Amino acid sequence: MREAYYCTVKELNDSGKENIPDQFKSNMHLIYSSPATLAFNSPGAEGFGVKRAGLAIPDSIMLIVAPGCCGRNTSLISSMREYDNRFFYLMMDETDIVTGRHLKKIPKAVEEVCAGLEKKPSVVMICITCVDALLGTDMERVCRKAEERAGLPVRPCYMYALTREGRKPPMVHVRQSLYSLLEPAKKKGNVVNLLGFFSPLVDDCELYELLHSAGIKTIHEISRCRDFDEYKTMAEANFNLVLHQEARAAAEDFHERLRIPFIELRRLYQTDKIENQYQAFGSVLGVAFDTDAYRREAEQAVEHFRKVRPDASFAVGECMNGDPFEMALALLKYGFKVPEIYGTITIENFVYMKHIAELSPDTKVFSNMEPTMLYYDPKKSGVNITIGKDALYYHQGCPGIMWNQDEQPFGFAGVRRLFEALKEVAE
Amino acid sequence: MRGLRKYLTPFAPDQSGAVSVLFELGGIVVICDAGGCTGNVCGFDEPRWFEQKSAIFSAGLRDMDAILGRDDRLVAKLADAAEKVDAAFTAVIGTPVPAVIATDYLALRRMTEKKMNLPVLTVDTDGMELYDKGEEKAFLELFKTFAVEKYPVDEHKIGVLGMTPQDVSDLAAADKIRELFQRKYGQKAVCYCMGDGLEEVKKVSSVSKNIVVSPAALATAKYLEKTFGTAYEIYYPLVEDLLPEMDYTGKRILVVHQQVIAGSIRKELLKRGAKAIQTACWFMMKKELQADGDVILRDEDAYIELVQNGEFDIIFADECMDRMTPKFDGTFVNTRHFAVSGKLI
Repeated sequence: MREAYYCTVKELNDSGKENIPDQFKSNMHLIYSSPATLAFNSPGAEGFGVKRAGLAIPDSIMLIVAPGCCGRNTSLISSMREYDNRFFYLMMDETDIVTGRHLKKIPKAVEEVCAGLEKKPSVVMICITCVDALLGTDMERVCRKAEERAGLPVRPCYMYALTREGRKPPMVHVRQSLYSLLEPAKKKGNVVNLLGFFSPLVDDCELYELLHSAGIKTIHEISRCRDFDEYKTMAEANFNLVLHQEARAAAEDFHERLRIPFIELRRLYQTDKIENQYQAFGSVLGVAFDTDAYRREAEQAVEHFRKVRPDASFAVGECMNGDPFEMALALLKYGFKVPEIYGTITIENFVYMKHIAELSPDTKVFSNMEPTMLYYDPKKSGVNITIGKDALYYHQGCPGIMWNQDEQPFGFAGVRRLFEALKEVAE
Repeated sequence: MRGLRKYLTPFAPDQSGAVSVLFELGGIVVICDAGGCTGNVCGFDEPRWFEQKSAIFSAGLRDMDAILGRDDRLVAKLADAAEKVDAAFTAVIGTPVPAVIATDYLALRRMTEKKMNLPVLTVDTDGMELYDKGEEKAFLELFKTFAVEKYPVDEHKIGVLGMTPQDVSDLAAADKIRELFQRKYGQKAVCYCMGDGLEEVKKVSSVSKNIVVSPAALATAKYLEKTFGTAYEIYYPLVEDLLPEMDYTGKRILVVHQQVIAGSIRKELLKRGAKAIQTACWFMMKKELQADGDVILRDEDAYIELVQNGEFDIIFADECMDRMTPKFDGTFVNTRHFAVSGKLI
């Protein structure tokens, strides 16, 4: 009887970050494809991949220049109302690849698409894929040509799956592209940008109130910009708050081009660490944040859940809004059990691995992408509640939450909402 | 402009067609890509993937694999998977990345066969052709590899070639066809690649005849006729289910679908009194199935022009095409084609 490969947290911690087993390295084996790995293989199919992210600028449209196969699943996105009439395609054939003639067609295609629209778009994003990565296409130059012809901004957007684990993965690059249209503007001391996500933070996130209490009047998020003019005012910010590490390169661009510095905050689910992070952030701004009420609410939500499910035993997956290892550690610190984690191990995870090993050394860690996950059997796991789309897939019939919604949980509000959602499914 | 799409998303590509053929047969199916193509195939083009476990893998190619042509690493990964997973064969499906770096599939197959004790199939799809091209290649490769033995012919058994969700757009179609042949003719219908596994592929020579339901399977039907003497007929047995009750008498009708289904609809509509029927197809059109006036649609403009100038009373086509011709004031009958819209009946 075959079974899925796993390591216990203790084994992983003992072997150390220099000796991560090959089964956890995606470049060392074939990538098993199950609904649990869809977010890895096709980020656009769930949440925000390059295609959806590239359209975060208000009133923008996208021309996907690629073999037909690369644009196939876009109809999943274009069926969403907000993307209606925003995706267009210029399909490549073999001759295009051999001669590069598709590049000459792009300016004309941009012009033709724009001419057929009722409202002139703010920007045309040109999305290119692995094929052009291999051809070494200079898309910046092609975009300039298209700009001249169409008379509006045209920007490249690289959906290079081949470079996913490279120095600048597609999701890092697309964030840079999104802010590349901003021009230097006069700074306003009471304006801040939140960078990192393509959709807003949850409305009741305490970060908004904390920033207001520190004298910030305007908080920009690209997803909340109503139009292109509002988007352009992001250049007036006094500083940027980076809430997702993939936005770091974009923040560096801001710093270099627009002289806007940045501060980085992490999404965490451990209330003590969230508290520490806010205090450190406050000291940088020269204010003392009062976070007691928010923390209390979050911890109350944990207790309310505990009353409903005191014996909660979690499976934590990676297809959700959070780091599975950090979330697992948080759950263990709150006194729950975590018998299984499904995650991709990186060197950064070892910060959490060490603490998890102290609290729950037998927790099993599986890699969603490893071929033997075909044989994963949930029967003896001891799991009775799950977090993450992948965990839900493995434990069908077990209560759980996907926790991969577009609206981003963050800070104490994130913890509170997580446990409220868990309580709802556990009841 | 040729290649420009303003209304329709791209259709199912050849790699999706190839996977569709091999999906249920118990092999290790490796899509030779960086990940995105696998996501497209599984998350969109293979509706069975959400319902049943299957050994589909991405090769997980990275830029340096492509630049340096590290086929040996792919072979090592395949051998590793073959040790870990129970499978009847291994299949490598091409995508744009190996097409650009000119991967030698024959060499890849030989290298892989040396490392593992399983039959190896390779399908040189490139993501730029359409699903039927991939299906055609995969059907041929499959039957040439596994249908090697001649079995005694069973007169009560017929084969149905070309059944994939891409073509018939209905996951229950195979069961419906089995039931239909059993009830109507007392025959057992074997639906290759949809419900009937690899063992039936091996015994394909035992059927009394083959029914071809998609142009992509025609080359295989011809191959089987030549190799085993199995006759074939070309039609879609469930065509009546696709026609709503209405008065077709004297009507001028356009049918847009894959060629066999479009042809079967035409035949049925003529029986019901239609005056003139034109078929049009985004996909392959076989000369032997073509009637005067049938057209291949190369791009969106061709379809729009056809409808504008055709004076049709009724159009049979996938619903996603309806918005392309807002001025058409006849009846639009939604005739699902999964390879077009990605939606099932």
